[in-house]
Amino acid sequence: MEFSNKTFLVIDDFQGMRTVLRDILRSMGVNPKLIATAANGNEAITLLAQTRFDGVLCDFNLGHGKNGQQILEEAKYRNLVGPSCAWVMITAEKTADVVMGAAEYQPDAYLLKPITESTLRLRLEKIWAKKSAFIDIDQAVMSHDLLQAIRLCDERLAVDKANAGELLRLKCHLLLVSGEHEQARALCQALLAKRDIPWAQLALARVHIAAGELEEARQMLENLVADNRSYLEAHDWLANVHNAQGDLHKAEEVLEMAARLSPHSVIRQKNLGEVSLQLGKVDKAERAFRKSVALGEHSILKTPDAYLGLARACSAQDNPKEALQVLGSLSKQFEGDDVKVKAMATEGMVHHRAGDTEAARRIAIQLGDTLGQHNGPQVESAAIVEMAELMMVTGEKERAAALLQSEVRNNPDDRILLERIQTVFDTGAMSEEGSALVEASRKEAVQLMNQGVLLARDEQYEEALAAMRDACERLPGNVRVLFNFAHLGMVVMRKTGVEPGLVEEIRQHLQTAHRIAPVEKRYAQLMSQLKALAG
Amino acid sequence: MTPAEPSPDLSVFLASSVHDMKNSIAILIGSMEKILAGSDPGRPEFGEMTHMMYETKRINGNLIQLLALYKLGNHLYPFSPEDWLLDDFVAETLSQHLPLLRFRGIAFEAAVEADLVWPFDGDLVGGILGHALNNTIHYTRSKVRLVVRESAEGLEIRVEDDGAGYPPKMLADGAAAMKGVDFQGGSTGLGLYFSAMAARLHRNKGRHGAIRLENGGAWGGGCFVLTLP
Repeated sequence: MEFSNKTFLVIDDFQGMRTVLRDILRSMGVNPKLIATAANGNEAITLLAQTRFDGVLCDFNLGHGKNGQQILEEAKYRNLVGPSCAWVMITAEKTADVVMGAAEYQPDAYLLKPITESTLRLRLEKIWAKKSAFIDIDQAVMSHDLLQAIRLCDERLAVDKANAGELLRLKCHLLLVSGEHEQARALCQALLAKRDIPWAQLALARVHIAAGELEEARQMLENLVADNRSYLEAHDWLANVHNAQGDLHKAEEVLEMAARLSPHSVIRQKNLGEVSLQLGKVDKAERAFRKSVALGEHSILKTPDAYLGLARACSAQDNPKEALQVLGSLSKQFEGDDVKVKAMATEGMVHHRAGDTEAARRIAIQLGDTLGQHNGPQVESAAIVEMAELMMVTGEKERAAALLQSEVRNNPDDRILLERIQTVFDTGAMSEEGSALVEASRKEAVQLMNQGVLLARDEQYEEALAAMRDACERLPGNVRVLFNFAHLGMVVMRKTGVEPGLVEEIRQHLQTAHRIAPVEKRYAQLMSQLKALAG
Repeated sequence: MTPAEPSPDLSVFLASSVHDMKNSIAILIGSMEKILAGSDPGRPEFGEMTHMMYETKRINGNLIQLLALYKLGNHLYPFSPEDWLLDDFVAETLSQHLPLLRFRGIAFEAAVEADLVWPFDGDLVGGILGHALNNTIHYTRSKVRLVVRESAEGLEIRVEDDGAGYPPKMLADGAAAMKGVDFQGGSTGLGLYFSAMAARLHRNKGRHGAIRLENGGAWGGGCFVLTLP
């Protein structure tokens, strides 16, 4: 392989190691002028933003500031490295953070020190050969055409034996994220009949979860983590299952184990804090949230939820002053209307708990106004329900009821959510009234949803499209309505020709739906159809 | 009563000093490679340098094994089986050992079944193979061969030589040597112990990986055999 025209970035905090790595690259034939070096995370990010490197050699342990994994995460998150860039992480020892982390933030290879020319050369050749084998599939994934990506995996599987394992794993991942759970089930079962493959066991457990077979999922995952104690992703899913089954103690135990294995993970510390808080272990929750916030200092994956959790933990320990300080630093660190309203809701609860009814009520009113705006922030149901709760306890019952009704209209079929909403009405001593409101909103939504479908069935497409557009307007967070609109829009265009405005409208609705419900079979299908129709 | 002296947690020092030592070794090896690449194989320094390289890599191998064993014992080792094309894997592993074999005038051959793909943890199996090759360089007479094939037990990797073979006591003690340290015998047993532990981690359908020592093979010398299910 020709190395002379490749650009490289070497990241290491030791001058000695930078020289060694640079010498190795030079002896491989790399032009010394095309090798850039960085001593820390900030220098590295600056260089990555300027140049699209063909290869990055990055030490994991960089002393203070960002570590190698955090640089990689930021580079991928900010799209500073393309799919053809080979990222080699260099570590003194194998760590779960690097090897067993989330797939989208994994390096292409990690090499244990000391690095020699021959190992590095062989590894880089292997990485680039593999990347060129996967290039079509990568492109299909990037253009959101997952079904096409799955077809390409199959084509490649027929001829490429050396990459078969990786292709099967990728295909299985694509089946899961496009909601094709039954196909994923069949694939995993066939593989597992021949060999115990940890990723296939995890995928099968995820199929069980999606099908509501929680007990099967729990058993599979418990066996999986017992046999593979460092499999972080399996721990995360097991904690989810325990959570869904209401066994918070077990969920906490599993998350503690996972956090011990990957002490640098912002998200796992945050998850641990949330479970501990629910269990009423306030100081433990506080420790975990603090850790998550501290780890996030250098990480692009830092999460506002850790700050919100920390504020709650402080509030629960009768320390409203610090809780408000935490919320203050939250609003300095994060932008976005969704974060803003969540911070407001938490702030309201802090005041309420501290006995400052007036301040709590003021915030509840302000919150209601912000949420009520046209094109207001989109927030997940659980957070909406909490906001309604704040309005309820501060006496803003009408605002609470309006917010809850719109949430019912967006999710008329979600039984668990409807029950949760009912309990908020109960808190406000509105049990009967609330139950009537929930039922009315549910019916209203169903009627709005059906109108367009019935018109379409009678082939009154113009009218059907108008009705569905109206439904999208009134039920902006209702995934089924958004998908129905996309489907109908494409039926119409297949008859009357492609119309760019409608294509764009459909694309936006599909993206909204995907944001609300990331794993929906119809998203992948409709996206694939849209791609075929409009390119 | 005076309070007890706080006892330091040695494991923390172990992990952090191994980090540090490995940085130093990385720089040593880097410099040696550079000198070796620019020097004349006919001169005596070349031989000494090659030997230094061998010893440095041995230290490095021992450090890796110690750290892996520490992590395995605490269930912190990120065991990560991946599909390996055996041709690639053997090429990568041998690239570390061939220079020394060549320098010592040991003939080497590898017989790797074509297109064979097998899942295993590349770092662990690389460590096992490195240990076996280092050993055989000491005990062989003139040649070493590496055989990789699929057998009834799964994947079989054999390192065979034409030396005198393992002494009977070692063959008899085989299993015991894999369980711990024998200070009297002069060998720390680290390599074998590590190899046995690392092999065992590989499991499939109720079976697990193993190592064994034999005499015989193609040339009647010592054979180190690793099997992975």
